[in-house]
Amino acid sequence: MLDLQGDVLVSMQSVLKRRTQGDSVFELDVPEFDARRGQLTAVVGDSGCGKSTLLDLIALVMKPTHAGSFHLQVDDQSYDIAECWSNNDESRLATFRRLHLGYVLQTGGLLPFLSVSDNILLPARVKGIEVSEQRLNRLSERLGIASCLGRKPDALSIGQRQRVGILRALIHSPALILADEPTAAVDKTRALSIMHEMSSLAREEGQSVIVVTHDVDLVEHLADQTYGFYTTQQSEFVTQSVCKRVS
Amino acid sequence: MSTIPELHPRPFRLISNLAVAHLRHEWILTLCLVLALAAVIAPLLVLLGLKEGTVETLRERLVEDPIYRELRPAQTREFSHEWFEQVELWDGVSFITPTVLPLSSVLSVQYPEQRRTELFDLIPTRSGDPLLLENGAVIPDDHQVVLSAEAARRLGLKKGDTLQAQVTRARSGRQEVAEANLEIVSVLPSRAGMLPRLYASLDFVVDVEAFKEGYASPSRGWAGSSPEPFLSYDGAYLLISPPMPPIERSGLVINTGFARLSELDEAAWQQSMGLRLSDGWAVYDLQTIGSTVTPSNFRAIEQKLRGYQRVLIPYVNDLSLIATNGQALEVIGISLSSDDSERLGLPIIPWGAFDATRLEPQRLLQMLTPSDQTLHQPITFEGQLPISFDVNTHIYTDIEHHYIPAELLGILGTARQRALSLEDERGFLMHRGGYRGFRMYAASIDDVPRLYHQLREQGLEVIAEVEAIERIQVLDAGLNRLFWLIAVLGISGGTAVLVVSLYAAVERRRRDLGVLRLIGVARSQVFFFPVAQSLIMAVIGIIVSYLGYAIIAGVINRTFAADLAAEEAFCRLPPSHIVISIAATLFVALLASLVAAYRATGIDPAEAIREQ
Repeated sequence: MLDLQGDVLVSMQSVLKRRTQGDSVFELDVPEFDARRGQLTAVVGDSGCGKSTLLDLIALVMKPTHAGSFHLQVDDQSYDIAECWSNNDESRLATFRRLHLGYVLQTGGLLPFLSVSDNILLPARVKGIEVSEQRLNRLSERLGIASCLGRKPDALSIGQRQRVGILRALIHSPALILADEPTAAVDKTRALSIMHEMSSLAREEGQSVIVVTHDVDLVEHLADQTYGFYTTQQSEFVTQSVCKRVS
Repeated sequence: MSTIPELHPRPFRLISNLAVAHLRHEWILTLCLVLALAAVIAPLLVLLGLKEGTVETLRERLVEDPIYRELRPAQTREFSHEWFEQVELWDGVSFITPTVLPLSSVLSVQYPEQRRTELFDLIPTRSGDPLLLENGAVIPDDHQVVLSAEAARRLGLKKGDTLQAQVTRARSGRQEVAEANLEIVSVLPSRAGMLPRLYASLDFVVDVEAFKEGYASPSRGWAGSSPEPFLSYDGAYLLISPPMPPIERSGLVINTGFARLSELDEAAWQQSMGLRLSDGWAVYDLQTIGSTVTPSNFRAIEQKLRGYQRVLIPYVNDLSLIATNGQALEVIGISLSSDDSERLGLPIIPWGAFDATRLEPQRLLQMLTPSDQTLHQPITFEGQLPISFDVNTHIYTDIEHHYIPAELLGILGTARQRALSLEDERGFLMHRGGYRGFRMYAASIDDVPRLYHQLREQGLEVIAEVEAIERIQVLDAGLNRLFWLIAVLGISGGTAVLVVSLYAAVERRRRDLGVLRLIGVARSQVFFFPVAQSLIMAVIGIIVSYLGYAIIAGVINRTFAADLAAEEAFCRLPPSHIVISIAATLFVALLASLVAAYRATGIDPAEAIREQ
């Protein structure tokens, strides 16, 4: 199942994030992290292990405390994310997010004041590209939400919202899709089917997916590679977590 | 790194669309906010409309009425042409016209189809007269007239009719009449004044005045005499034989208009007149202080000198004529009967004795000249207007000076102060010296008090509506302050509502804005989300406000329609105010959104991931 032949999309070396909350310090250490084109990367860990922090780093919304190397490689270009952060070049990071990243949030993260189809098309509009009606219909049928397009998110079930969130994340063909506990709010059976659909759609579209979850079962048959966390209590106040690939 | 697009192609449109979608989604809140805005804006519009309409209507009726900008002298004084030229240039003077004495400017008007006539006041006007122009009238030309409302009502005449008028005068016990037919070009509305009056060109009014004084107006075919110049001198020499005792001498000048009498010795006499003094004769110099000597002074002193052998020789100091070759001729005036000449041992004067009534050119234009000099004619006198004439010369070998008739000297003495001309058939004519009054209009009522004080500084009592104007200005300023007080109160409240609501909306939508940031909307673009919402609500608020305003203004104006003229409205907004009110509302809305907008830019995209 392991296939490391795809091109590297995200690569991190020696990235450290230290978060202080009151007296306690949490340190996430990522010695090495790769995500490759066309692959599904699972990041698995219990709550508090730092998996959300890792996702924030990859999502370009959290500044690393230290980064040996942090690159985003898209369309034969290599972008130095570490440099962007050290320059505080937020608008450039926003541009990367707009152009190359898609997000699946926990309960969809849909804007309640937009219809389902407007929600789906929003990233494409922000990116400034047209999405054909055919593509929208095809993908929404594929995810079983074709009948919901004209409704507002309030009128959908949680599972439907999650599917809408998935479609919104990939509609504008980003190179990388980030999913944060995408199935936390649905039952196991439905979660598995949602994960399956997301994974196969992404593969069809040639997109890379990084899924963050606490549920190993959910991803064990789908993931091309899996990262886990090794947490140690350094002292009374300092917790360190190291992110490593699990073979 | 390669260049990549930094911004969405049309970010503001996207943000505005999202802002609109949000407002529509929360339509109840939006409606409340729009109504709250309208509840502030609409009453302010009505208030502004009422202030503009009511106050401006009153202002226009009272304050901007030309009558309130009028200044006129309360006393009769001579105002020279130069005075008018200067005053016209004063700051804030929009119009000034000379006027003539009220009694000299009445016109007897024939009632149509009747034998009856009535006297009407005739007021001079000329181009630019605000009283006429601002009341919709046309400035009359030389053969036209404008009627006041009351004059038109009494006469039953209207615009386009012809006014048959007569000017009457009594001369030598006979009633004389001049006729004038004037076209009525306008009838003034009653607000221009309630008195029956006729407004005509200054030229016409001046001709009427002149006719009443006995003069002709050849261009109008009105008969009469010519305005002959009066004679003025600086003083007179009294030659008397035998010399008067000092006591009698000192009483001589009392009640004659002369102020001073001093004796001249023979040398001084010789010096000033170039003439000998016969034995047994004395010479006194009679002078006035600060005024000119006229023939009436001579008549007064002659009365007192009955029984004396005496001769009066009036003089003008330092008067010279200029010949064509540029030679200056010091001239001395002398008119003597042949008897007097003999008595004084002087040469016979061809034009004879002094006679102030015989001013015909052929008598006056003569000169005695020493034989050895050739005179280059014509000769010119540089008075107020230059006068050129030829003189009939008489060569006297035994004199050293040039002598002219004393009457000519008197005319030239007058010509130093007044405009005179010499016309072939009519002789010396005196032009109008000045006017006895004026009618002035300030450019705006605010100029009236200043002009009032400026004229008073010239020692002139002035009639102007200064107090009324100051009262109205105080009222107007008070109303302005009141409006702005209420406006500031209302605008502050409205702004606070906007600020709080927009801020609350940003707080409510923190996560949604975070999602926008996460999918790549720039910080600076999120800034415009509250701004766009504020402007959209302001626009809707303005529309609702103007709808409300239109309804209320309509009701107000209909209610008071009976008290208003056709084009007047109690509640109205001039276009400039509409534009300003819209711009001001949008500006305030923009300002009000800035706090919320700043708050929105602080939202971290990570918040979108971290929620729940």
